[in-house]
Amino acid sequence: MKLNIIIGGKAGQGINKVSEIIGNVLNKYGYFTFNYRDYASLIRGGHNFNTLCISDSLIESHDAKVDILVALDDLSIKTHKAALKKNGTTILGEQFKDLGRNINVALAGTIIKILGIPLVELEKEIKSQFKDYSKALEAAKQGYDSQETQQKLTKLKASPTTLSGSQAIAKGAVNSGLDLYIAYPMTPATNTMHELAANQIENNLMVFQAENEISAASMAIGASFAGARVMTGTSGGGFDLMGETLSLQGIAEIPLTVSLVSRPGPGTGVPTYTAQSDLDIALRSGHGEAPRVVVAPGNPIEAIDKTSEALFLAEKFKTLSIILSDKHLTESEFSSIQKPMKTIKFKITRTLPGKDLVKSSSYETDKFGNSTESYTLTEQNTNARIKKYNDIKKFVNKKFEMIKIHGDSKSKNLIIGWGSTSGAIKDAIKDLDAKFLQVLYCKPLSPKIKKEMKKAENIILVECNVTGQLGRLIREKTGIKIENRLLKYNGRPFHADELNSLIKSII
Amino acid sequence: MKNKIELGTSSENTWCPGCPNHMILAATKQTVTKLIESKKYKQTDFAITTDIGCHAKIFDYLNLSGIYCLHGRALPTGIGIKLGNPMLKVLTFVGDGAMYSEGMAHFIHAFKHNADLTLVLHDNQSFSLTTGQPTPTSQQGYKSKASPLGTFDRPFNPIKLALASNATFIARTSARNIPHMVETFTKAIRHKGFSFVEIIQDCLIFNPDANEKDDLMYKIPDNRNKENAEKYAEEFDYNSKSGKIPIGVIYQSRERSLEEKWPQLKMKMNKKTNIPKKKSLFKLN
Repeated sequence: MKLNIIIGGKAGQGINKVSEIIGNVLNKYGYFTFNYRDYASLIRGGHNFNTLCISDSLIESHDAKVDILVALDDLSIKTHKAALKKNGTTILGEQFKDLGRNINVALAGTIIKILGIPLVELEKEIKSQFKDYSKALEAAKQGYDSQETQQKLTKLKASPTTLSGSQAIAKGAVNSGLDLYIAYPMTPATNTMHELAANQIENNLMVFQAENEISAASMAIGASFAGARVMTGTSGGGFDLMGETLSLQGIAEIPLTVSLVSRPGPGTGVPTYTAQSDLDIALRSGHGEAPRVVVAPGNPIEAIDKTSEALFLAEKFKTLSIILSDKHLTESEFSSIQKPMKTIKFKITRTLPGKDLVKSSSYETDKFGNSTESYTLTEQNTNARIKKYNDIKKFVNKKFEMIKIHGDSKSKNLIIGWGSTSGAIKDAIKDLDAKFLQVLYCKPLSPKIKKEMKKAENIILVECNVTGQLGRLIREKTGIKIENRLLKYNGRPFHADELNSLIKSII
Repeated sequence: MKNKIELGTSSENTWCPGCPNHMILAATKQTVTKLIESKKYKQTDFAITTDIGCHAKIFDYLNLSGIYCLHGRALPTGIGIKLGNPMLKVLTFVGDGAMYSEGMAHFIHAFKHNADLTLVLHDNQSFSLTTGQPTPTSQQGYKSKASPLGTFDRPFNPIKLALASNATFIARTSARNIPHMVETFTKAIRHKGFSFVEIIQDCLIFNPDANEKDDLMYKIPDNRNKENAEKYAEEFDYNSKSGKIPIGVIYQSRERSLEEKWPQLKMKMNKKTNIPKKKSLFKLN
């Protein structure tokens, strides 16, 4: 069973409230939800919509074709009527305009009724959300009574909980004992900052806003040097500014973790939309040659795990860890019954200022940490950095999940993808003869990828960028060129149904 | 028997012979030694950050913890150290080129944050390690390989900028006057909050026209009056040698420092300090 609902309206009309209420009721009723948020770079007006996908089993994506369209304004009908399936239902917000801000509750009521869920489930949710709920309850009933039941959803045993990718990155960081998050606001990375800032005192950490990303990264390096567990976060443009500090990290060897949340570029691009076009800069930004780790979680549970691993590896190897995600992962809301892995606890055992004399430098240094221009030391230090990367590779290979195989593991049709696209791929191949190899570590890259590719007859690359960045990376590391490429680069993520037919046409 | 404090290193000193940086290094060593001898601080309590440029070589010559940063970034990195461990005594060494060109945003914001650290700015009105290009404080007409037609722009006045940015400590000293530097550094380090020390320094190689201002300098008493501070700031325009150059504490006031404003940092400090009540029209935090 799978249903897709679009809730559309102007920014400020509260479409997020509608999907939140319905999502919560459904999760508590034992159903899985996935909520895609599509919004423009403005605060009031325009056209925003959410696609809420509902299923009785785990889903991590939404479809292009929808069953129900909830329209808070005329533009929503115009924009989405083509997406509505034959026999689909349209619900107009107009009919509840006298309810003021309770219009959202009434709209939630209509959906709950259509799904055949008892009103009391919605009432429970309203009571838990609102202090003064008498008007809201009336509105909910009014919405509920306005519709006929179409589905008969029975209560299920599962109790999935919902998390966004930003919440998950914050959770992973808190689990690992983060002391400091230093950043400069940039969509879509800012939600992680908000998440951490909201509970900073309870979580015994500090969220500091710097004057720009250069400063944020420099402060993060300083704080890490002083012994704090630090993270900074930004999107592509800010990451470019941090480039020099990432390079500094390579030589100064002060642990640093950066969350890079992509959006479509180049330039300001399409700031509130999504893309996987920053893998190249995650792998290579910064001058010189130095080790780094790039992890790419595909859903919030993986984001919790990989954020903790990134922080751990940064500290253990005094290296740079980059958590690569995008708007689609960080701002979509995923429900799951999976639990994150046990957090890897670690202590900071390196020598620290305050206790010892410690020198770190942007220059090549001698054994005292002072500058050198010696050719032997330059070569030795360079070799040491490369050795460190080999150590990281060995360690990660042994300890952490670098790839995942989903779908039919015996299939000769191999789909390769990463990050937020993973959800749509997993859902797209549910009824297909296909296996999905999800890359979780982009640096180092798992040697298993080549083995899997050798076994396959048909390989398809799926990414949200125009040049197939993971495909190029795999070609660099394995020598294998992937001919079949499904690339989407219009700022929107893949829909599961869209991807299903695209893959079907190839295999 | 007290242990001898060794602040020097085995690195070869590569400053030009006669460069006033040698005197700044000597003054820094004397200041830190005195502070350690006073038993208030240990050698390991200090952390320095340095920029990139001639001044920054001081990193290699000081046996103190620290980071030799990227160009323009010594100040935010220093503030980062305070965020990571507010107990550390941070000294940040920068040049006029680095701070006022590449790092200008950091300079202004540092006054706003008021972190308890000391900024030591070596101002020789020249980008000397890159062979003498003009900096934002170079005088008009200054010719270099990059500006053979002469520098057209008027230099700006960092002291005025600091005052406008609500600095809580501004001092000026001379690179030729070790006792005055020691006195000024000590006052700056003891100041609770962000302290900005400008050192008027000659570059013997690249900008001789700007050199030898010693006769223009005169000592002022420690000043806490804003109007007087503005007058002192006006006296030297970095452009001509017609005015006088006041040296000493140009302005000092007491406001809550970064470490006193943030509850998380206060907790890390974990000791009772006399924190002044915030003077603000708005009743926030």
